[in-house]
Amino acid sequence: MTQVHSVILKIDGLTKLHGQFKALNSISFSINRGEIFGLLGPNGAGKSTLLSILAGSSKPHTGTACFDGMQIQPNNLKLRARIGLVPQDFAFYEDLTAKENLVFFGNLYGLQGTLLTKKVNEILEIIGLDDGKANQYSKYFSGGMKRRLNLGIALVHSPEVLMLDEPTVGVDPQSRNRIFEAIKTINAMGTTIIYTTHYMEEAESLCNRIAILDHGEIIACDTLQNLLSLTKTMINFSIIENDQTKAGLLQQKLPTLKQATLQGNYSLASHNNPTPEIINLLVNEKIQIISLQLDSPNLEKVFLSLTGRHLRD
Amino acid sequence: MQSFIIAKKELKLLIRDKLTATVLFVLPFAMILILGLLLGEGFGQKNDDLMRISVLNLDKGLGLNNKPWAEHAIDDMVSTPNIKVEIIQTKELANELVKTGKRAAVIIFNQDFSDRVNECSFLSTGVNPFHRDGIYLEKLQVLIVKDNKQPATSAIIESVCQIALLRIVMPWMIGKAFEKLGDPEFIELLGKEVSLPIPPSLRLLMPKEKIPLGELLELASGKDVVLAKNYREKVGQGIQTALTGQFKNYNLTGKSWASLTRSINNTETVKTLTTFQNDDGTGILKRGAIRYQILVPSFTVMFAFSLILISGWIFVAEKRQGTFNRLLSSPVSTPSILLGKFLPTVIISLFQIFFLLALGKVLLGLKIGLPTWSLTDWAIALIILPIATSFCVASFSLLIGLLSKNETQLALFSSVPVCLFALIGGCIFPWEMMPDNAKTLAFITPQGWALDAFREIMPSSFDNTTDFNLIWKSALVLTIMGFILIFVTWITLGRIRFSSS
Repeated sequence: MTQVHSVILKIDGLTKLHGQFKALNSISFSINRGEIFGLLGPNGAGKSTLLSILAGSSKPHTGTACFDGMQIQPNNLKLRARIGLVPQDFAFYEDLTAKENLVFFGNLYGLQGTLLTKKVNEILEIIGLDDGKANQYSKYFSGGMKRRLNLGIALVHSPEVLMLDEPTVGVDPQSRNRIFEAIKTINAMGTTIIYTTHYMEEAESLCNRIAILDHGEIIACDTLQNLLSLTKTMINFSIIENDQTKAGLLQQKLPTLKQATLQGNYSLASHNNPTPEIINLLVNEKIQIISLQLDSPNLEKVFLSLTGRHLRD
Repeated sequence: MQSFIIAKKELKLLIRDKLTATVLFVLPFAMILILGLLLGEGFGQKNDDLMRISVLNLDKGLGLNNKPWAEHAIDDMVSTPNIKVEIIQTKELANELVKTGKRAAVIIFNQDFSDRVNECSFLSTGVNPFHRDGIYLEKLQVLIVKDNKQPATSAIIESVCQIALLRIVMPWMIGKAFEKLGDPEFIELLGKEVSLPIPPSLRLLMPKEKIPLGELLELASGKDVVLAKNYREKVGQGIQTALTGQFKNYNLTGKSWASLTRSINNTETVKTLTTFQNDDGTGILKRGAIRYQILVPSFTVMFAFSLILISGWIFVAEKRQGTFNRLLSSPVSTPSILLGKFLPTVIISLFQIFFLLALGKVLLGLKIGLPTWSLTDWAIALIILPIATSFCVASFSLLIGLLSKNETQLALFSSVPVCLFALIGGCIFPWEMMPDNAKTLAFITPQGWALDAFREIMPSSFDNTTDFNLIWKSALVLTIMGFILIFVTWITLGRIRFSSS
């Protein structure tokens, strides 16, 4: 029973067609309450389409998406009040100030009076626009500030689930960090986050669980650790010429060790990080190392290993 | 509630866009002013069926039947077919009207006019007003103030004046001359001038060949003075009777044209005598000529419907900046979103209509309504009709804005209701300038219905009645059109929102 309640979004066999093109092809996964769930995929993978269905802005052709046990339908307006969507493009009134934008959208979601004022001030603080910028027309904001305002508008009604569609496109590192901080703060307050991106670093640094989407299909969905375990850590090292006689010993101790074409160069792939084991072996056998390079697994490699393509291709 | 929040935001955005707000309110009035100046005084004037003769009557004397001769002249002109007489109140006004080109000429009967007509006579002691072409106006104390820039019209007016004066002076002089035939002085003169031959049988008594008529009458009276006078009067009467018998188609003693010519009054002639009405209006700019009674309603309606473009533009801008999708993904119901977008256009449209009417009234002296209107009539004219018009405008704006995906589409889609319908509806060229069946075609457009009703509440000088049935009908049609458009918009938005692909 507890297990049922922990799932806030359940997607089952969702298919969406754009004409003959399958934007989503029978995808299924679930998202737990309170987690930061990453949707990782290259451009055109179907991330935005999926978000629009989850936000109730679009209808799937087949399959269902359920929010807290209720099926998401475009005409279910009450459900929309529990969801916040940060669109990929800026979506606010440039001739209104940041505060006026927040007040307007807060009003639309039924917030009024002191509750609204309190919530607006809280959001302004979270998105870092609480100083004099709150009363500036948003058309004069920098790209990063606009991104943060775009995020703030989706937060003003305290949604249970916040969906962010590539919220860091075109922002400077400082603003990106502020956005990350804001997302973590919101998540710490209990909001479930669905974060779409094609930046694997962002998914790695933010998300508890990640679904990798490609050509409208989920090709992997798990925790970061489990996804990384789909690929091996690669260690490359080279030893000095005099010690090459001990190559046989190394091969004996490390059966998966591969000798490179260049003499004295070796590589080893492992699901676990083999560095300590190799260093211990080399020290014990008094073999002198010229270089040692560790190539850790990442989502890019996971994607490459799953699709044969790079994520940004 | 959420509708008002959206509406408030829309209005706030519009007010902040000062340029658009200025264009919305100032441009229509500037167009009215500029076109008013370019089109000139005569634009919108209904062609007069009758020739207008403006007259200033300062005559203080008395003429025939103890009535001033100027009034006889005016009566004569009024009785002339196809002529209407307009009485000007003062000499200053007469001069001003001619100076400003508003009248080609004004006939002024000065205060001695009757006295001078009374003095006209065939006698050598009387005033002879005639010359080869007519009457010396100055001899009769008649003045015609003319506008040199309108020589043809002023010449026609002078001719009318000459004919009228001939028709009063000539019978007056003939009548007076005929009366003189019975005067003792005339008989005495006749008695001296006419000699009769004495028959040979009587020459023994009167040894001469001829005897003057006067001497003969004295002989006949036996030197009786009273009897002689009696005989002379009888001769006078005899001459008058003989002349009357000879010229029996005329009444030579009539002294008026009708009596002299024994003419029968033309009962079909509509006698039109008016007093001068100032068409300048009461506006500050003193430009309230009849043209503004046409231009103001035309441009009020045209610019009300041009809001389709501006509201549509705001709608498309909202789509472009993504906020419309944000609205659609909010929990606000579709009717609330529609109402929120609809209300600002209605409010702006109403403001624009009242702004133009108020400015027209204050600056151009625009005539709105009639003194006979009741409170209900005013409510129909200034509440029901503007609301119905604004309702239709807002509905149209929503549909066009919703259907347009970008500014180019908007420009194309809105050109039909803004430009083409305005043209067909009579907003650009008044119906009076169009073929007869143009007005029928106008009623396929909302502008045609709105304009018809707005022109009804701003009556022109040649139409002083109000057809409230027409206003009601127009308001009803505009409301029905508005409902149809908003229903289509509602369905379309619902499909976009809930059935998006």
